[in-house]
Amino acid sequence: MNLTTFYLAVAGLILAPLLGGLVAGVDRVVTARLQSRMGPPLLQPFYDVGKLWSKIIAPASHWQGLFVRWALVASLASDVLLAAGADVLMCFFVQAASASFVAVGAFCGSSPYSKLGAQRELFQLLAYEPVFLVAILCMAKVSGGFDAYSFMASQQPLLFKLPLLIPGLLFVVLVKLRKSPFDISASHHMHQEVVRGVYTDYAGRDFALLEIAHWADVVVVLWICSFMWATSALSMVITAGLFLFAALVIDNISARLTWRHMLKVVAPACLILATANLLWLYME
Amino acid sequence: MLDAYIGVLVLWPLVAGLACLVLQSPGVRSALVLATGAALAVGALGVASQAPFTANPGFLSSETALHVAEAAAFVFPAYFLLRGLMRKHLLVILFSCAQLALAAFGVTQLPAAPAAQSAVVCDGLSLALLLVVSFAGSFICIFALPYMKHHEEHLHLKVSRQPGFFLVLLAFLGFMNGLALSNDLRMFELFFEATTLCSFLLIGHDNTEEAKTSAFRALWINCLGGVFLHSGILLAQKQFNLVDISALVNPALWTGASMLPIALLALAGCVKAAQMPFQSWLLGAMVAPTPVSALLHSSTMVKAGVFICLRLSPVLQGTVTGKILLLVGAFTFFATSALALGQSNAKKILAYSTIANLGLIIACAGIGTPVAVSAGIVLLVIHAATKGLLFLCVGDMEQTIGSRDLEDLRGMVSKSPVTALAAVAGAMAMILPPLGMLVGKWAALEAAAQSPVAMVLMALGSALGVVCWVRFAGTLLSGKAIKPKASPTSALTSMPILAMLASAVGLGMAAPWLNALLLPEASAASALSGGWGLMPSLFVVAMLGWIIGMKVLGRQSAATLSTPYIGGLPSVEKGTYVGPLGRTWVLSEGNEYATELFGEAKLTKFLGALAGALLLALVGGAII
Repeated sequence: MNLTTFYLAVAGLILAPLLGGLVAGVDRVVTARLQSRMGPPLLQPFYDVGKLWSKIIAPASHWQGLFVRWALVASLASDVLLAAGADVLMCFFVQAASASFVAVGAFCGSSPYSKLGAQRELFQLLAYEPVFLVAILCMAKVSGGFDAYSFMASQQPLLFKLPLLIPGLLFVVLVKLRKSPFDISASHHMHQEVVRGVYTDYAGRDFALLEIAHWADVVVVLWICSFMWATSALSMVITAGLFLFAALVIDNISARLTWRHMLKVVAPACLILATANLLWLYME
Repeated sequence: MLDAYIGVLVLWPLVAGLACLVLQSPGVRSALVLATGAALAVGALGVASQAPFTANPGFLSSETALHVAEAAAFVFPAYFLLRGLMRKHLLVILFSCAQLALAAFGVTQLPAAPAAQSAVVCDGLSLALLLVVSFAGSFICIFALPYMKHHEEHLHLKVSRQPGFFLVLLAFLGFMNGLALSNDLRMFELFFEATTLCSFLLIGHDNTEEAKTSAFRALWINCLGGVFLHSGILLAQKQFNLVDISALVNPALWTGASMLPIALLALAGCVKAAQMPFQSWLLGAMVAPTPVSALLHSSTMVKAGVFICLRLSPVLQGTVTGKILLLVGAFTFFATSALALGQSNAKKILAYSTIANLGLIIACAGIGTPVAVSAGIVLLVIHAATKGLLFLCVGDMEQTIGSRDLEDLRGMVSKSPVTALAAVAGAMAMILPPLGMLVGKWAALEAAAQSPVAMVLMALGSALGVVCWVRFAGTLLSGKAIKPKASPTSALTSMPILAMLASAVGLGMAAPWLNALLLPEASAASALSGGWGLMPSLFVVAMLGWIIGMKVLGRQSAATLSTPYIGGLPSVEKGTYVGPLGRTWVLSEGNEYATELFGEAKLTKFLGALAGALLLALVGGAII
């Protein structure tokens, strides 16, 4: 590891959560405008987290604090891995570990809604993980290596060779951003059938940290999506922005699906498209 | 000195087992089992200090030994035939007769092959299996001492059947060590069949109708495996007049030659490792007492199947047979991971997951490159430690609450904290970076780059496995308002569990270095690149997470918990609340097993047929 990698890693550690918070802010502003509202200020998510941090609330389980910290560490680690140009598959696995910790923490809680949310969270994991993995395998096949730098070094946008990945990646973004129609495990608005699902039992400081972990996750996912057009830094930002915008639009025009529908129809369809693209790369 | 170590490893367990049978007393038995553990540890470390080496100990290489092996090729099938006739089990009769016919054909029709140059060849692969058998095997045998005592108390037996049980269990360790070390195919077959016998006897140990049915199912399927093994050996002998394994796995020998013997040997490995569509025998084997499941059907015996595939990997690399074997393994990894998800029986979950991971190792063998093979060996070692641990934990919890259903294990952490937390750690070690199982999976995935279909199957299996294990861990940790009522555990129970926990985590963390040790020198330089190279820095991160997490845990474990949010008013009666319509509702919880998607009844036939087609292709591809 040389010094540049180290600086990049540190930058990833600090910037990724901030960037994720900004994404959450943009999300809220854009969603409000789509619904003809003014919406909160751009930095509202940071204020929210600050307020959560100041609250001391009795935990629902002795174990949750532990799993929240582990989820945060894993999420930040996956950002750092990407920033340092490490193996993207490993980064994916580290990120999946973070999602697992969130689910285990929810299982530990005492509310039935929390456990119901954890079950659904696992089914979401099952739905998007293979699609995301195959997408990464496709990108690796085109760019000839598994490390983030070779993904970003390709002269031609990967999109031209990987058009069938778009639905799959969009699906992953929708699930990871917990957006409708896939806000199945943690409904975005309260007072619905799962309350807040997997988040029900997290509160106060734990919840604030979980929110930061979520920001870090969002950055990883959007970053990997941006590899589709990684000819320059600007094009990557634009690509990620387009994915985000598409997700927000879909969020506003669709209703929540059931996990059965996600697992039986949407995930297989996305996976088949991605696999077809992978096979097609091998045919060439 | 080396010969003495090998003698201890192979013969001492048999002697100790016989002593258990003769001396009967429980105290002596405990002492003998503990002594065997110590002896095997010394022997294995002694051998490990010399590896890699070749040796010619008399009891494995002399004329007499080879005659014994030759006789065993008749004796084992004859015994199986006898048992088959006594039970009128058609398939056992059929396949044991086939084995007898093959043995007779070999003796009468083929010229006697020259003995192998050295009877014992010990390389990284054999050493890995040897260490697993000697350490994990010993821990599990020690665990079996208190377990079997409870088990017999529960069954109200008048005469203890433990002496016979421990004879088979201990002798089995010796057979496995012999199998790992022998370089002569005939000796290998002797030990291979001996493990089939042990498995048959131990599955049927409880003598219930279910146990007998399962034992005979295991027997006929493994007899079929024996037929594949023996015909593979005979064909290889016919083709090259060789029984020397290390000479046979030379790729130069096989250029232009028919790969059929290799395909048959690999097929025998697939049967032993319970790959789809042969998985049913391993699931049936779960009726046996838990130490048996942990030792034979997860940590060691089924590893003999992947051992033979890994042994053949130099020949498989780049061939059609290898490519099909990769698909076979990857498909089983995917299919049994899906089946595991639909199960609520904890032992069945473990069984399916075992088959899945064996499939992953077989896929590594099919790829055959040094990188893939060393990943396979690392997986073999770490899986043995982790899955052995999980079996011991489930066995202990089952004896505590009298059920092995995951729904009944809900909230186990408040009833027997040490065992439940060890099980949670084991489940997490199956899926979390930077531990070895995940890294092995990662390495296999990247090494499979030649086959897109195998990669997709692995991706699916990986996601299914994550969901399965997170749900397992989450259910054990599930919060419930029960006051902790820790039950007392014997030191002989908790000691092996903690030792296995330490080895599962320790080996999981040592994986990158194990991997580097196993690679040939040419590729060892780049061994710590890519994902393996990331591990040390991820360890630092994980340690950091551990420290932060433990600090918070220490702070929070004293906190008063909030009342559960149940969307209603908690009522006076425990577990009920006043909810919608002003009614009193009783709270109940349960996992969603999505049996409509992952149900055994629905999937087994369909996936089994697909896997069967792949195995046919494996043999057919070699004939053409």
